[in-house]
Parts: sequence; structure tokens; C-alpha cells
Amino acid sequence: MQLNFEHKTAGHCENGVVRNLLKYYEVDLSEPMILGLGSGLFFSHMPFYKMHGMPITSFRPLPGAIFSSVTRRLRVKIKRYKFSNPDKAMAKLDEILFREIPVGLLVGVYNLPYFPKEYRFHFNAHNICVIGKEGDEYIVSDPVVIQKCRLSSADLKTVRYAQGTYPPRGRMYHISSIKRLRPVDEQMVRKAILKTCNRMLHIPLPMFGVKGIAYLATRMRNWVAMYGERGAALNLAQVIRMLEEIGTGGAGFRFMYAAFLQEAGEFLGKPALRDLSLELTAIGDLWRDFSYHAARFFKKREGEVASYDQVADKLMKISQREKEVFTRLEKIMKSE
Amino acid sequence: MKIKEVPQDGAILESTAVRDVCYALDEDGTYKEVLSVGWSPKNEAIQFAWSAINEESAKIRQEVMEGKLSPLAYHLSRLVMTPRILADYTGFSTRKIKKFCRPELFAGLNYEVLEKLAGALNISVEQLRSID
Repeated sequence: MQLNFEHKTAGHCENGVVRNLLKYYEVDLSEPMILGLGSGLFFSHMPFYKMHGMPITSFRPLPGAIFSSVTRRLRVKIKRYKFSNPDKAMAKLDEILFREIPVGLLVGVYNLPYFPKEYRFHFNAHNICVIGKEGDEYIVSDPVVIQKCRLSSADLKTVRYAQGTYPPRGRMYHISSIKRLRPVDEQMVRKAILKTCNRMLHIPLPMFGVKGIAYLATRMRNWVAMYGERGAALNLAQVIRMLEEIGTGGAGFRFMYAAFLQEAGEFLGKPALRDLSLELTAIGDLWRDFSYHAARFFKKREGEVASYDQVADKLMKISQREKEVFTRLEKIMKSE
Repeated sequence: MKIKEVPQDGAILESTAVRDVCYALDEDGTYKEVLSVGWSPKNEAIQFAWSAINEESAKIRQEVMEGKLSPLAYHLSRLVMTPRILADYTGFSTRKIKKFCRPELFAGLNYEVLEKLAGALNISVEQLRSID
């Protein structure tokens, strides 16, 4: 059996699964709108939390946060599960699937067969949607893949029980009711934007939001002293990967959020948001410029010399520009 | 970023069905989704991370040949596994997995244990015993 489920690609797996699930229930939203309503743009640099021995830099809130905010705002009811027994986890999945309900799953990418081998790290917060089963094979809609894929039940079980940081433990979820659905309205969009502004501007810690970008810049200047040439380059490579690796729509969600501001501007009848969208696009281009220059630390191009101060300066500028954009955005949203 | 500036630098994704969705501006300045097969700075960052892993594995492989470590240590490194994560997959303790990385202890392991380790690493027992 296979559900009549429209598979659409998305930049980010979580946005993609939410959007495709909602679409199945005839709630049609764009990926940027999901990102915006889910307040999915952020920045944090946490030297004290490490993955593969390197500080975590992130351009989005915690995994699952977008999903929770969007469904809460829309008043869509979600049922979530977690299982200690893998066989029970598979049986429950079948039971729900055969009630013609598409099921979202949290999986690890390490053993995901259709991923390129270069992407097989122990990342355990990938979202996919199971939309059918034929014999021993599940039909899967993974938003970062251009077509529907198939996974054997053994493979699916393995990725649902991936190990490492934050193991998924068979987590799954589905929409249980849309009876109280609230269509997107002005208030909702406004609140979601204000939440993003608040997170980017007002968290009183140096690691988060626009301050976090400056903090990363400051730390970066000392990387060579702290980690040596090679270690510093590895750290920089890690930042670039978080900015650009599958899931951000380019430049750490900045372009996707700019697309949202454009859509929101039209929706709210506020042309000023279109200008801010363009400004955020320009900032996205600055992030790309940063990545391009940073890449020379690990891929030498001819005749180029680079210093960490140089790329750190670029980040300081980005921090300043983002501060301006989100301050203006907050002002517009708070007025009237 | 404009649509015509969306990079299409294939290196990692083009042989798979995985793609990056980029958001870029069309000629009227309206955002559109565009599929991309990758971008050089990102590809280079990923390849650089792997080159560091490969170098580390080569070093460990050398130590295996010198009889200082067991082949398990090599496979752990090559497959970006850690003793901790392999312990979680197999049910052995982290301390045990670390012990299995010592050649004299590894040599004494029975087939059942080897099978369990190899299974969790998604390789065959023959592969686990060798460093090819």
C-alpha cells in the first residue's frame, strides 16, 4: 500500500516533513513560511558543547523546535511516540500507517543507504516520512531526496535505533487531529517574527544570536594558538558545513528566511518587509563570501594568503548587519 | 543570491538522489527554490574533514601492522566510529571495546563476538580481521 502523499523536496528536513505532512491534510504552506512560523532562524556558537571533538556552531534552534512551534501556532494536534523495544516500534509504525496516516520518523543518517558516503556521520536528528509499505519494504519521503525512496524494514530499524549523541530511540510522530486548525493570520506571523528577533537580539548570553556571531569571530582569532594550524582549519571547515550542508537553503537559512520575509510582507501588506528581505539577502551573500574565503584554509588556491583575522572581520561585519536588520524588523512588527 | 548564481559544483551529491534546495532571486527579485548539486567551498570543507579522518586511519593502520593495535581500532577510525558508539550498538561496555582494540585480546575473541562487532560495523568478519 502507498498513501496518496505528495513528496516535495525542501532545503531542511524538518521543514520539509512538516510541510508534506500538513499538505496531506490539505494545509498548503511553503517551506519559507514553515521556517518563519517556526522561528527557525538562529545563531549559536557553543565552545563547551562538542561534536566530533569540535565546538558546535548552529544556525537553527534545537532539532524539533520548528516542528513544535509551527504545529502549536496552527493548533494542529500531534501524537508522539518513543519505544524502548525496536520490534514494538516497527509494529506500531505499521499499525498507524495502515490506518492511512503518514508517519514522521526521527532517524540517524550514519546508516542511511541512499545518503552519499561523505555524509555518513553520527547525526541523529534527521526527519523522514513513511508513506507506504510493500512486502518488506517501506516507501519513504525524505525531503532532501528528489524522489521517494525505499528502505527495507531491517535498514529502517537500524536508522531508527542509531546510536551516538541524542539517539532517536524509535521516535515517531503524526498529525492526530486538525479539527482546531487555525489558518495562518496576521497575529501568528507577527508573533513568530518577534520571537525570531527576540532570540537574535535579546538573549543575555554572548553565545547566541547576533552577539554569538561576534563571539565566534573573537574566538576564531585565537584558533591557531588554541588548536594549531590544522585544528583551526578543521574547526573552520565545521562552521562552513553547518552553514551550507544539506538543510539550510544556503547561507545558514538566511536566504530561506529572506524568502519568508518576502512572503510575509505580501501577506501582511507591509512593503517594508520586502526591503528587509533584500537586506537579509545581501547578508546571506556576505555569509557566502565568508565561506568562500574560509575555504582557502583547507583548499589552497594559487597565490592566496589568508589570516583568521581577515575572516573574523567578515563575521564582525555580518554580526553588525544582522543586528541592524533584526532591530528594524522588530520595530516594524511592534509598531501599530 | 540570484538564480543564475546558484552553484552547481558536483563532487559529492551528483551520483546520489540527494540535492540541496537553495533559495535564490529570479529576475523580478522574487524568491524561488532551485536545486543544486553542491558548492565548492562546502564540498571542500567536507573533503577536508574526511582527509583528516583518513590520515588518522592510515596512522592507526600502521600501528596495526606494527602489532600495537588490533584491526578493530583501524575499522573504528575508518568508519568514524568511537568505542562508545560501538558499545551502544553491540551491548558490550566501552571498556571492553577498548580492550578489543589490543591485538593480543582481539586474537582471542571467538567467532560470535567477532560477528557481533562486524555486524554493528556493517562489514564481514573477514574484513574485520584484516586491514585491507
